[in-house]
Amino acid sequence: MRGAAGGAPPDPVVPEDRYARQTAADRPGVAQPVPVRPVPQQPWGSMLLGAVLLAAVLLGGWEWHWRAYGVHPNLNNDFGLWAIERRRIDAGEGDATVLLGSSRLYFDIQLPVWERLAGRAPIQLSFEGTSPVTALEDLAADPKFTGRLLLGIAPQVFFQAIDFNAGAAKFTHKESPSQYVGQWLSMDLIEPYFAFDDADFGLDTVLARQPWLQRPGRKWYIAIRKLSDTHAQRNTYLWDKVEIDPQYRELARTIWRQGFQPRPGGPSPQEKHKTAQEQIERTAKAIATLRARGVKVLLIRMPSSGEFLAYENRDFPRQGTWEVLVKASGVPGIYFEDYPELQGYYLPEWSHMTRSEAERFTATLYALIMRDFWGPGAPRAAAASEVAPAVPAR
Amino acid sequence: MVFSSLTFIVFFACVLGMHSLPLPWTTKKINLLIASYLFYSAWNPPFVILLWVSTVVDWYAAQGLVKARRAGARHAWMLLSVVANLGMLGYFKYGQFLLDNFSALMTALGIAYHPAHSDIVLPVGISFYTFATMSYTLDVYLRRAAPARNLLDYALFVTFFPHLVAGPIMRPTELVPQFAQPRRASAQQLRFGLALMTLGLFNKVVLADTFLSNAAERVYDSDKIPGTLDAWAATLAFSGQIFCDFAGYSTTAIGAALCLGFAMPDNFRFPYAAVGFSDFWRRWHITLSSWLRDYLYIPLGGNRHGARRTYLALMGTMLLGGLWHGANWTFVAWGGLHGVYLSLERALRSRFPNYRPGPLMFVLLGLLTYTLVNITWVFFRAKTFTKAWIVLRGMFGQNVGAVPILSTYLLSVVAAIVSALLVTHWFMRARTLESVVARAPPLLVSIVWGIMLFAIVAAQGTGSAFIYFQF
Repeated sequence: MRGAAGGAPPDPVVPEDRYARQTAADRPGVAQPVPVRPVPQQPWGSMLLGAVLLAAVLLGGWEWHWRAYGVHPNLNNDFGLWAIERRRIDAGEGDATVLLGSSRLYFDIQLPVWERLAGRAPIQLSFEGTSPVTALEDLAADPKFTGRLLLGIAPQVFFQAIDFNAGAAKFTHKESPSQYVGQWLSMDLIEPYFAFDDADFGLDTVLARQPWLQRPGRKWYIAIRKLSDTHAQRNTYLWDKVEIDPQYRELARTIWRQGFQPRPGGPSPQEKHKTAQEQIERTAKAIATLRARGVKVLLIRMPSSGEFLAYENRDFPRQGTWEVLVKASGVPGIYFEDYPELQGYYLPEWSHMTRSEAERFTATLYALIMRDFWGPGAPRAAAASEVAPAVPAR
Repeated sequence: MVFSSLTFIVFFACVLGMHSLPLPWTTKKINLLIASYLFYSAWNPPFVILLWVSTVVDWYAAQGLVKARRAGARHAWMLLSVVANLGMLGYFKYGQFLLDNFSALMTALGIAYHPAHSDIVLPVGISFYTFATMSYTLDVYLRRAAPARNLLDYALFVTFFPHLVAGPIMRPTELVPQFAQPRRASAQQLRFGLALMTLGLFNKVVLADTFLSNAAERVYDSDKIPGTLDAWAATLAFSGQIFCDFAGYSTTAIGAALCLGFAMPDNFRFPYAAVGFSDFWRRWHITLSSWLRDYLYIPLGGNRHGARRTYLALMGTMLLGGLWHGANWTFVAWGGLHGVYLSLERALRSRFPNYRPGPLMFVLLGLLTYTLVNITWVFFRAKTFTKAWIVLRGMFGQNVGAVPILSTYLLSVVAAIVSALLVTHWFMRARTLESVVARAPPLLVSIVWGIMLFAIVAAQGTGSAFIYFQF
């Protein structure tokens, strides 16, 4: 505010600048004239061409680097993609089967296999690193959803209310026309063709995971790396690099191990218990709403193995978590350890199956669900809405 | 839609294509108007109605002003415009804030008053276009400008998409005359416009969003108590982030307009090389600071009625300028601090009218200005006063025993970018971008341009909104 405070001090060095021009700051209290916007004298045509060529070469090299690393172009697993699937319920598929859970239900159920067996693809609404409770409440509040729901319970994520992507439901209801169009443009023009277009390979992410010196006194964790590939209808499976690259597989395991011990400053046992109780209460309430309008709900504890399973059994024992949830929600559940056919699959990093194993698992699970729960002659089909089993079928 | 989105790239390519067709000038202007409404409705279509209301009210108010014979009638037309615009702004932006404060006041007086939360959605850019349209009627009222000759030109002035949602805040005299004659960018203008857009998006997507926002968020948006290093790093990161975000937007907007053959004014002049706060405000968000000066500070009396009145006008202007940025007392505190700085500087200039700093003192005063500006950013970034005090205590070494928050990587990134930013601002403080580009070897410009393009794509920005959209 020049008029207010008398102007800037003199500048010791003012080089000659033939592009120099005044701004509104120099003209108090008058009508401002049409601005001047000079173009520097340069060969702009050849400079533009050179810039575009250089950018193309750099991007080509960047793409080549990531493909050589083992990355395949696939869809970005973001809120926009989730919203497309969520909106299917409002667009005439309210009676569909919905899969809702965390990464295990997301990676380990293969939609093409399910579709082949059922004649119809389910709607995949699971999100990695995210408890399904927020999305469950969103479904409960949507009267258009009257179908069937397979609700995945990953103990670590569910009972600790880990909610990295819980904003997806809110995003769906508030998505702007611009975001909607941008999602389709990206899905059609960018994502199927470029491997580097993945959050794990963004500039900042790549730089951040270089071997920087660690700051004394600051606890350091390795961030979770890319684990999956996503395709149409959010069909997702474990990235084959985890399966075929021993180093990457070990890295994934190391990352999981970091979470097996309590973190400094983390919640106390009492706080953890309270969180788990709140999750159970929210889930039971949402399920009651869904059941009231005829939705069939089936809980599932997907397989895990190795050190991950040992950690889950230690920190989230079945009796104190899963059984309480099943009882409170009043719906049947499948606990993988109760079914021999749901065991023995290969989970390279102890939490998710390889793609081929996931296909085999999907076929087995679908048959089991139809036989015991959702099929016309299933023993639990009629009783599902009335009985709250303390111990699941079998 | 945001400039840094894929949707905008396609939209802008279509607009450029339409604008280059051999169509009558009026048709091209209608195309631009429709495109601008599409641009705005891409956020939330119903809010286009607000644009129309603002446009129509001010158009008729200006017509009324011209036709009015009596001073009272002129005054009434001017007031209609001001009340309609500020009313709209007040309802959407400050409605809940006023209600909350009224409720708090009642509680303090022992009266239980708990109004329901109103859930009012803030229309994007409302602070910018209401100020732009108000400047139209105010300029006509103050007899600084003649009204637009037709509604199309005026509506396009209000709605023209490059400046619509985050400025630069255009005055009618800057833009309306440009619609009088057919305009189309020359090949050189188009290419330089694209270069400016690249520079602006690099600032926004790469520097602000990708590299600087993280450090600020980890300190300001967490419950952790920051130590001295973390508090300063986060605040410096935010100072860089908000400059790169907002100057990046302005540069992109100027470039987009230039690609279409229109000129928009400078909004930033390397503000972190400012020496003193009057200098800072001649370099930071120039179109807002000059708007506040012309339509608030000067009408409040400016410096024409003695020292006491001047300081009151100055503080009033800066407090309201702070409130313009958001419905929160922290913004008022930010504006108030700047008001205090400006007042102190003015007092010192009055006390030492002949003081001229030598080169070393000049730089030291510049660094002092930058440091004090950073302290104001704490109030701007913190969502609450409690958080602001925690960060300030950290900056002044009072959070003893604080656990380190930021990684070596983040500290290095902040140090590198903020240092580069400061050096650049000092190098450029008396230069224009155009003069530096004109003197640079073409190959160097081309390489820098190519690297910026690569970095924009490789950074994988998520098209997050510009910080100033919320204002």
